[in-house]
Amino acid sequence: MNRAFELNTGISNMKDLMASDLGPYDAVYLGNPFCRDYEANFLERLEDLRAGIRHCRGAGRKVYLTTYAAPRNYFLPQIRRAIAVAAEEGVDAVEAHNLGVVRILHAEFPGLAIHIGGFANVYTDTGAAVLRDYGAARVTPNYELSLEEIEGMAENTGLELEILLHGKMPLGISDYCFLLEYEKAWGMKCPDLCQQDLYLRQGEWAMKSVGKGVLSGRDICMLEHLPRLVAAGFRSFRVEAISEDPVYRRDIGQVYQEALEHSLSGAYQILGDWWKRIQGHAKVGLCNGFYFGQSGQLYIGSQLSAGFGETSANSVEPLSRAVSSQLKVIS
Amino acid sequence: MVELLAPAGSIEMVEATVANGANALYVGPKGWSRRRDAYELSDEALREAVRIAHARGVKVRAAVNTHPTSQELPRLLRRMEVWVRDGIDGVILSDVGVMAAVHRTFPDLTIHASIGANILNDEDICFYREIGVRQVVADTKLSLKELRSRREIEVGVEVLIHANKCYTYLGKCWMSPYHRLERGQDESGKDLFKGSPNRGGLDYRVCLEAWSLLRGNHDRWADRVALKNDAFFLLEDVPHLIDMGVHTLKIQGREYAVDLIGRMIKFYRDLIDTYSADPHDFDLGPWNTRLGQIQAQRDLERAKGTLDLFQEAREAVQGCQR
Repeated sequence: MNRAFELNTGISNMKDLMASDLGPYDAVYLGNPFCRDYEANFLERLEDLRAGIRHCRGAGRKVYLTTYAAPRNYFLPQIRRAIAVAAEEGVDAVEAHNLGVVRILHAEFPGLAIHIGGFANVYTDTGAAVLRDYGAARVTPNYELSLEEIEGMAENTGLELEILLHGKMPLGISDYCFLLEYEKAWGMKCPDLCQQDLYLRQGEWAMKSVGKGVLSGRDICMLEHLPRLVAAGFRSFRVEAISEDPVYRRDIGQVYQEALEHSLSGAYQILGDWWKRIQGHAKVGLCNGFYFGQSGQLYIGSQLSAGFGETSANSVEPLSRAVSSQLKVIS
Repeated sequence: MVELLAPAGSIEMVEATVANGANALYVGPKGWSRRRDAYELSDEALREAVRIAHARGVKVRAAVNTHPTSQELPRLLRRMEVWVRDGIDGVILSDVGVMAAVHRTFPDLTIHASIGANILNDEDICFYREIGVRQVVADTKLSLKELRSRREIEVGVEVLIHANKCYTYLGKCWMSPYHRLERGQDESGKDLFKGSPNRGGLDYRVCLEAWSLLRGNHDRWADRVALKNDAFFLLEDVPHLIDMGVHTLKIQGREYAVDLIGRMIKFYRDLIDTYSADPHDFDLGPWNTRLGQIQAQRDLERAKGTLDLFQEAREAVQGCQR
């Protein structure tokens, strides 16, 4: 595929890859960055990784390897092996969330493009510049940055930035899986536990648990704000669906594939069908993360607050008036 | 001799930690550290802290252990110039960009990589060493075995002997601002991010809320699930850490009462000195009892602090600035 933008997503294992329709996507990140015990994680099953890379290539997609977000010393040999396989198979890039892994890639695999993941804590332009010196070709800024800050980073560093467009925003990573404490009570064992679509709820608050990983309960949704993202020059977008099923991946990908094409054509219209498809997968609601400089669980926009989804008592006036006024909605 | 590093959230705490035997202390310049501003020091107070500490041969580090905005970096470097001129001996940083910029601007200033930098493996340490870091704070989840390998690398290692052990890796957690973030600016124009510990605001400890666990939207699997976030003291490990040649033993707690921090410092001063004087005849028994009393006071203070944070986390955000 050769489009003016890249829509990508993450897939943890071969089973998920084979069940996923890659149609809407231009690129795929292979591997689960949260847990070594995740079922048949590409990062641990290197023959699967090899086959997965070939499958994506055969489908005409770019393919990237992601790596563990919080690797200890004893992870490093396996990470090196996985990178070596990825290099042999000619992946388009390797994503590193850990600066030690960045150093390994830079020193030991000089031909491989490096993408810096969201867990790498790139908060500042100077931080991004340091990583550019270590060979970074693309950076996902830390999730806490506002769009204003991200736009400034793009302008000041000249680096390609990847934007989390939709899906579950990572909120944290642990070395401990609390779900294991419930194996006996629930009659279910690892690695099935973390695939049960589990939400931590406390009143109106919600977070999704994937064991060692904590994700936003609400789905980040930037559908309304695509014109701003496109106008700012961003072209690499992620649907964060590592914890979601293939139907989610397909449906959300299709919406954004269409939306990006519309947006780049210069006449952006939100089609009513898009909201319905997004709504069907947003179990807890939608949010904008930190893009507008406020609590990550809030949604800022003109359309959803007028009739779709839910708004929080903490919601403030829409910040995107300039953008919203450019939108024409067909409901 | 291993260095005992103490928190100093006020001038009173500076005096207490110096009097009780700290070798070094760290202070948070107002607006720039990973704590409430109530536990940070103005420039004037920081100068006073340096004066008090240096008079007793105690070093002072400025904790600038947050991720500022990119636009703030020039302002930070100007502030840093003041703190360096006022005599700080080192600086504790989290952000790689800030580290690189500070190292370029103040090449002789010792940079300590904060626990917020989340340094987990030897390659990580080498990375930070290459950008100018001289000492790293070990993550609280690392084992003694993992810490041992650090000896092979030319870098100082700092181990927390009193701190919180979060469910998540510290520095890689956005649970608190996801639920409540309040942006603002202080009187000097410094950006503030209340609710975001990585960006210098307080942490609402939402991980400790009594969460219910549901499959999908309705299938309730468990109640009162807490994502563990325990405060700890190291005791049995301290002799091993000293034997390993760890450079610094660090106590967190700028937010605790001055007398409690004073007791902690005195406890560890005595422990380090006693063990170092006669490692072969060292008996942990009495130390356990003494630490138990300190721990009881700490637990009370922490429980109250957590409840206050829960309440504050539910408050509506009054204003919002982009």
